[in-house]
Amino acid sequence: MKKSLNIKNSLPPVTIILALLLLWELICKITAIPEFILPSPSAIGSSLAANYRLIASHSVTTLAAVAAGLFLAVTVAVLAALAMDRWLLIKQAMFPLLVVSQAVPIFALAPLMLIWFGVGLAPKILIVALVCFFPLAVSLVEGLEQVNPEEIELMQVMQAGRWMIMQHVKFPAALPYFFSGLKIAATYSVLGAIIGEWLGARAGLGIYMLRAKNSFQTSDVFASIIIVVVLSLLLFKIVEITGSLVMPWRKEKDLTVED
Amino acid sequence: MFILKKLLILLFFVLLITTLTSCSASAPQDLEEVTLLLDWTPNTNYSGIFAAMEEGYYREEGIDLQVVEAPGSVLQMIATGQAHFGISYQEEVVFARLSDLPVVSIAAVIQHNTSGFASLKERDILSPADFEGKRYGGWGSPVEEATIKALMDKHGADFNLVDIVTTGEVDSLIAIERDADFAWIYYGWTGIEAELKGIDLNFIELRLEEEALDYYTPVIVASEELIAENPTLAERFMNATSKGYRLAMDDPETAARHLLTHAPELDHDLVSASQEWLVDKYQAEADTWGLQDKKTWEAYSNWLLENGLIDKMPESEKAYTNRFVR
Repeated sequence: MKKSLNIKNSLPPVTIILALLLLWELICKITAIPEFILPSPSAIGSSLAANYRLIASHSVTTLAAVAAGLFLAVTVAVLAALAMDRWLLIKQAMFPLLVVSQAVPIFALAPLMLIWFGVGLAPKILIVALVCFFPLAVSLVEGLEQVNPEEIELMQVMQAGRWMIMQHVKFPAALPYFFSGLKIAATYSVLGAIIGEWLGARAGLGIYMLRAKNSFQTSDVFASIIIVVVLSLLLFKIVEITGSLVMPWRKEKDLTVED
Repeated sequence: MFILKKLLILLFFVLLITTLTSCSASAPQDLEEVTLLLDWTPNTNYSGIFAAMEEGYYREEGIDLQVVEAPGSVLQMIATGQAHFGISYQEEVVFARLSDLPVVSIAAVIQHNTSGFASLKERDILSPADFEGKRYGGWGSPVEEATIKALMDKHGADFNLVDIVTTGEVDSLIAIERDADFAWIYYGWTGIEAELKGIDLNFIELRLEEEALDYYTPVIVASEELIAENPTLAERFMNATSKGYRLAMDDPETAARHLLTHAPELDHDLVSASQEWLVDKYQAEADTWGLQDKKTWEAYSNWLLENGLIDKMPESEKAYTNRFVR
């Protein structure tokens, strides 16, 4: 039942995408536009097919930075959110800093990170973490704020300590917020890693893109863009699936709402 | 409770995976890990380095060379000791030294400046006098404007009639077709690419227009500290590098192959053709590869001073050294 629904839902976007690709291919064929200005979908496809090994090895490097950066961002965001939830003073002091962390232009800061931390994996991890930290921390803080105060009162009446309340009431209530923040963070994370690689790296999708661009191979550039999009979508999906595994009650609720 | 446990387990796995992936690369024993920063994507300017890597010349000198592409911040990282050696160009070294970055050029990779102004044949831009009424597509840096102005002044043309457009990262060959009329390119890469694509260019070579603009680009740089405290490392590095460039001069085909081994993403035809073109340009008429001349350093600094781009002369003797040239 659910499966057929999914197929039905995905039919319109798939049709649109296929139609656009066909149109694009036709325009390239008819106008005979040089490949280095706009490659046709088929040229991009054959570039993907010819270079998949190379792209895969660059992807591994990028994903390592993404995974480590996301992990760091989650750890720091959870700690920061818990501290802000526990002490109001910390929240008042730190919340503006959260906004600052997002307002800092990454392109200006990233070269400095390279100068401070060298050209290894560390600066890329930090850039990913910086990009991902804000959506995670903000959504967690918000989630912890949204807890029904009556539930907390009930727990307090039953002599529950702070930790118990956190475990049984606040944490489960904040989880959906955490996962929606993580979805945004995961989507940004690949881009963060690539910005880091553009500024200094030995390998990675960012390096692949630069090499392709600087040797005038536009179809390879497009191929790497596709890979970046696919990786971002995959990360998004992984977060979504993890979310529904961790919060089975949420999934059921969603289903009833949807159906 | 369950949720917490699950999450902790998940986090644990993520941590495990990341530590595993970050620890996998380790240097071979007995070799000193040395980092070289490139200022652009691998190309034929760097062929000698990749030749030396692939032929094992660095290993023979006890060096495990790590090549990192770091466009935009090479000199800062050399100055702060984040890397041992780097690729830069004379202009950048002059500006860096005037800002107290202790960097020194230890070799000229190519004897003469191979850059210049390219335009499509049909635009009829044959000399800087023809820049009048045309659009220049570039990075919008002060040096570009000053260079164009100086060349036009020499021909009695009016610089104010040039429309400066910032095209930045746009591929120069696309820029001169669409956004601008002329652009500043390195003939050995972009010019060769145009030849391969059958695009006819007019090319105004900078060094033929103005002797002072025949500066060194690219150069290999190291920090003053490295040169003072570890001169043997610079010697070993340059032994291998010189050997690599000699190979590139003797055997461009092999050099092109080595470059492509390191960066298979590059266009094979472009690399081969560019390598052939550069063969006699690395060393040119100099006694040996890498040699730098005080006259070249002084002339360009003087030119920068005269055109108001710098407000004092850098000490040329400190900006470069021939000590490590083999």
